[in-house]
Amino acid sequence: MNNVFTRHKWEPYIWILPSVLLMLIFVVFPIGIVFRLAFSEISRAGVVGQFIGFQNFIDAVSAPVFPTVMLNTLIWVVSVVGLSTLIGFIAAMVLNQEFHGRKIARSIMVFPWAASLVIQASVWNYIIKMEYGNLNNILLNLGFIKSAVNWRSAYQIEFIWECAVGIIVTIPFVTFTVLSGLQSIDVSYYEAATVDGASFRQKLFNVTLPLVKPSLTVSTVLNIIYVFNSFPIIYTITKGAPANKTDTMVTYLYMLAFYDQRKGPATALSVIGFLILCIASGIYMMAAMRKEESL
Amino acid sequence: MTGSKRIILLLFTAFLLTLAVLFLPLLRFKTALYTKRSPNTFVGDEKYIAVRAEVDQEAAAYIARGIPASVTEQVTERVNSKGVKTSMVAFSILTEESRSGWQLLRAGLSFSTLLCLLLVLSCLLFLTGLWSVKAPSRSGSTIQTASVVLALAFFFLVPVTALNVNISLSRKVALALSQNLPEPEMQHLFSRLDTFLYDGAAGENIQIMLGTFSYTLSPLYYLLLCPAFIFLISTLQLRCGRILQPLLRILLYTAVLLFSLFILYPFFVMFITAFRSNAETTDMYFLHILPTKWIWSNLQDTLNRGVLRYLANSLLIAGGATLVAMFCGIPAAYAMARMEFKGKRAYLGFVIMSQMFSPVVLLVGISRLMNTIHLNDSLIGLMLINAAFNQAFAIWLLRGTFVSISSEMEQAACIDGCTTLGALLQILIPIAAPGIVTTLIFVFINSWNEYTISTVLISTQTNRPITVGITQFSSFNMIEWQYLFAAALLATIPVVILFMLIEKHLAAGLTAGGVKG
Repeated sequence: MNNVFTRHKWEPYIWILPSVLLMLIFVVFPIGIVFRLAFSEISRAGVVGQFIGFQNFIDAVSAPVFPTVMLNTLIWVVSVVGLSTLIGFIAAMVLNQEFHGRKIARSIMVFPWAASLVIQASVWNYIIKMEYGNLNNILLNLGFIKSAVNWRSAYQIEFIWECAVGIIVTIPFVTFTVLSGLQSIDVSYYEAATVDGASFRQKLFNVTLPLVKPSLTVSTVLNIIYVFNSFPIIYTITKGAPANKTDTMVTYLYMLAFYDQRKGPATALSVIGFLILCIASGIYMMAAMRKEESL
Repeated sequence: MTGSKRIILLLFTAFLLTLAVLFLPLLRFKTALYTKRSPNTFVGDEKYIAVRAEVDQEAAAYIARGIPASVTEQVTERVNSKGVKTSMVAFSILTEESRSGWQLLRAGLSFSTLLCLLLVLSCLLFLTGLWSVKAPSRSGSTIQTASVVLALAFFFLVPVTALNVNISLSRKVALALSQNLPEPEMQHLFSRLDTFLYDGAAGENIQIMLGTFSYTLSPLYYLLLCPAFIFLISTLQLRCGRILQPLLRILLYTAVLLFSLFILYPFFVMFITAFRSNAETTDMYFLHILPTKWIWSNLQDTLNRGVLRYLANSLLIAGGATLVAMFCGIPAAYAMARMEFKGKRAYLGFVIMSQMFSPVVLLVGISRLMNTIHLNDSLIGLMLINAAFNQAFAIWLLRGTFVSISSEMEQAACIDGCTTLGALLQILIPIAAPGIVTTLIFVFINSWNEYTISTVLISTQTNRPITVGITQFSSFNMIEWQYLFAAALLATIPVVILFMLIEKHLAAGLTAGGVKG
């Protein structure tokens, strides 16, 4: 646009220098360290030894719990992202309607997004306790059950609870991104569709969905990354117990690195996770860039 | 105005029907006053006659006290291992009482909340009905919708009350009989039940007389409710055939209400648990939804146990991270929005990519780095890490804001001899203030809620931020839930309020990056 702002060729680089430095030191550097460690021998005390090729990767992948952890990660990401996108989309459609108390409803939706994940996970952890949990307390009081129910009788069920908590805390993000997309849709599209006699379903699939697709794509990809990286929920509710059966990759990695002091396989897992994330972010970046170009 | 008249008629009938349902003695209480098992007894033999006479005498005593009792006998016949036929007769004196819902609710058996709701609803129903005649036609439809909602709520609340009374009363009696209620509450319950069921005739014997307690609803109850409900719906149908619109509205409101309750539920639990006593937080037989006694001093106690320090740490970390992120982010975003330079696209790509670099995946690297530069276990270290990992969002949001503002004024200023820095500080930042505040708050909240890096980097207790600090209340053998949640409450309230302020701008900024044509 303008050479007005740039007196010297190097001026823009000074402007971006602080941010480049900050990210170089605290983001790029750790990435480098992780990559270096992943290919090195590391003692339990943390002393970095020589280059050992892919040995750490082989150790990490050949661990007996590795397939369980990966399967859990897959279930975790797919179920949380899928269901929260679906529910969040419906919630956004509802919040896009005119009704009394809409502002209050919007404010309420903010809660799970704003509050810390550790805190919310702790609350849910308390709620589903059998002996004194609040869910049993309320259901007994309202008379829906006659005696306390064990809500976490098996680790599979505990994992389902963790996914449910993940879904609840993810919904607001989807709702608000979709809502912002919905609110930018021109009313005239709907008016035209109504004049043409389109039904609710036709309007949904032929007007709404194509127009909020960019927002939906961005929120879904971002969600995949956040949910993949989500650590506090599983760490607070089960800590991966019993025997890593409810671990996802991120919590397993943490346990491996900081409880078992096996930094080698842990960094190898970090690299694997990093590569998975890179693919996801690459897709996101392409979508974001393309969107910008189209506008 | 015929619609309104119909509505009145409808509401009036709803009101009458519900009153009728409430006042009819449709609740049946069965209790066994006395049970006697007589082994080796065959019907008709000597022993049988003797016991029967004894039981009859007992029953007569009850009848004399004004309690309608009847004797039932149950015969169990069996062939024992020697091949001899034996028989046992169990006699019990049963009594059956019928009471109306109104009596039950008035008996003070702890269903006062629902009763109040029912009463308030019935009053509201009546009032809305009356009001809709006088109301101008435009607001009339709102009132009509409101009254339809009320009527529906009313009709649902009656069976729900019945169910609630049914199960929780039986449960309470069972708990009382197995001595699982606190003494004063037990006495209170028994004396109430005595007055309610036997008009105080049972006295000391009440505990024995409640031996087996069962409570059934007469089927008539539901038979009455069904036509009432059908009546309600069909009257609505008659009303200009405009039933779909209000029903959809009702559906919308119900869905919003239920979902809001669901979202708020964990926060409600956090709030009430924060003010419970330690015993109450872990008591299985604890019957009340709300704390019996609100212990406000829990807040003070948590603050005294280090939480104040943790909050201050969090404030420092989040505040510092926000400052650093803004200090580095605003110039970068400015350059990206206003200037052309080589590598701009590449840097933008890197910024978007780095949005995804989760600190969790890089934990090992981060902790090594911080060890090397001696910033582990320090607030400044956390501050910088948070700033760095929020940098991408900050630049992305700020750039969007800057791009959406026309650069004409700055250009004019620059031509007049103002420096680029001057243009940024004096012209752009004041205009872009809302977007900057949004970014600022977002970075602040993200840093405030950060948990994973802090658990790894911070080892000194006094350096903990609040998210890590609250975990001190949960150890392996004991969790002090009330303190945990009191601290959580203190950590949550400020961020929720802050978030509500920026929610509107944030979502648009996140998805679009503010890149509007």
